[in-house]
Amino acid sequence: MKRLVIAVAVLALAGCGGEAVVPEGQQAHGHGASSAAPPVPGASARFNDADVMFVQMMVDHLQLGISLSQVGLAKATSQEAKDLAGAIDVTQREELTMLKSWLKLWDKPEGDGASLHAAHGGQPLLDDKVINEAKEKSGAEFDMNFLNLMTGHQGAGVEMALAEKKDGMNPETTAYADRVVTTRQGQISQMLKIISGS
Amino acid sequence: MKIMRKAALVLAAVPAIVFITPVGTASAHGYVSSPASRAAQCAQGALGNSCGQARYEPQSAEGPKGLMNCSGANSAFRELDNDALPWKVHNTGSSLTLTWTFTARHVTRDYEYFINGTRVGYVSGNNAQPSNPTTHTINLGGFSGRQKLYAIWNIGDTVNAFYSCIDLNINGGGGTTPPPTTTTTRPTTTTTPPTSTTQQPPAGGTWAANTSYAAGSTVTYGGSTYRCRQAHTSLTGWEPPNAAALWEKI
Repeated sequence: MKRLVIAVAVLALAGCGGEAVVPEGQQAHGHGASSAAPPVPGASARFNDADVMFVQMMVDHLQLGISLSQVGLAKATSQEAKDLAGAIDVTQREELTMLKSWLKLWDKPEGDGASLHAAHGGQPLLDDKVINEAKEKSGAEFDMNFLNLMTGHQGAGVEMALAEKKDGMNPETTAYADRVVTTRQGQISQMLKIISGS
Repeated sequence: MKIMRKAALVLAAVPAIVFITPVGTASAHGYVSSPASRAAQCAQGALGNSCGQARYEPQSAEGPKGLMNCSGANSAFRELDNDALPWKVHNTGSSLTLTWTFTARHVTRDYEYFINGTRVGYVSGNNAQPSNPTTHTINLGGFSGRQKLYAIWNIGDTVNAFYSCIDLNINGGGGTTPPPTTTTTRPTTTTTPPTSTTQQPPAGGTWAANTSYAAGSTVTYGGSTYRCRQAHTSLTGWEPPNAAALWEKI
């Protein structure tokens, strides 16, 4: 029996490589240590490399989205665009606080956006330069460019969340990924209707 | 001895190459958002669940360069090739302005536009990243009536391209009905569609998606009452208990 447990443990180590558990005592929902069986780690404490990568990338992604929202709030002319910018701003701030707390729990760094993108072959839509260029436009032209950039940016978030749903294991993180897919789809749908005038 | 060392170096280098390869394929991508391409209509939810993956990733109809289809021959997006689906047809004159939406800015070789095998538009990408927004005006020349425009974004640093299809009715006369192979005809009503799909909420009513809520308005959800903290148009996933930034429980 013991041998089987060891074999499984070795396989798990050799196979996935990425799975990790927050040490006892630092867990958010640690179950009481019983004398017989080893404690089952709380759901929030079980995570793999895909969870960490997704959360690190989302932290950067949310911050860029918040920066663009701020520009939208300041300069959008249509109420529809302004409201959407305001709603994206406050909801993503809430998400950002949550994701940063997860990284802290997992003892993982926030990472920096540029190296994360380089490591994953991405050429992100948004950076400081693109956001600053957006500020230069005004009126209807500003609104269309803002909505277009936000539509693309949130679409990239859906792609990241779909990858997390496929490869992640932490239940809170995959549930968050589900919510990213749903809410971004809703936002994209609203924005595309405005962009195409339909 | 030296050879052995070299061999060891080579062997050591092999796994390193595996690690250098980016995790997953490079995320992409882009599609025509105005006029609403088939993929954009899918992302709007206009065709419900008949869109497959395009509902989630309108930007990812990617395939090798040189194809003439709407899905990039990518089976997850094959619904985009289905001419029988009720795609919205865009009425246009001979001059058509299109806007692309990107989720990542690939270095671009060029953009090509085709109708019926004829290239009606070409814009060089100068092997640079696209500008924001990327808008092109093309001349549809001698074409008229109901046509399917293929819009193709050829990537500069991969073998691939992204495909978008836009259903057009050029210079009137073509009608907005699907091609004659289909048996269903659309009613020719003269009523204009409502300008907005959002509804005004009944005061203090039950929360609903796709509804415009003003800051301070109240709704009920799951037996509780919430006050709107930030004006917004509601959507699935932003139910009051799931969006404390938008709704305060009272």
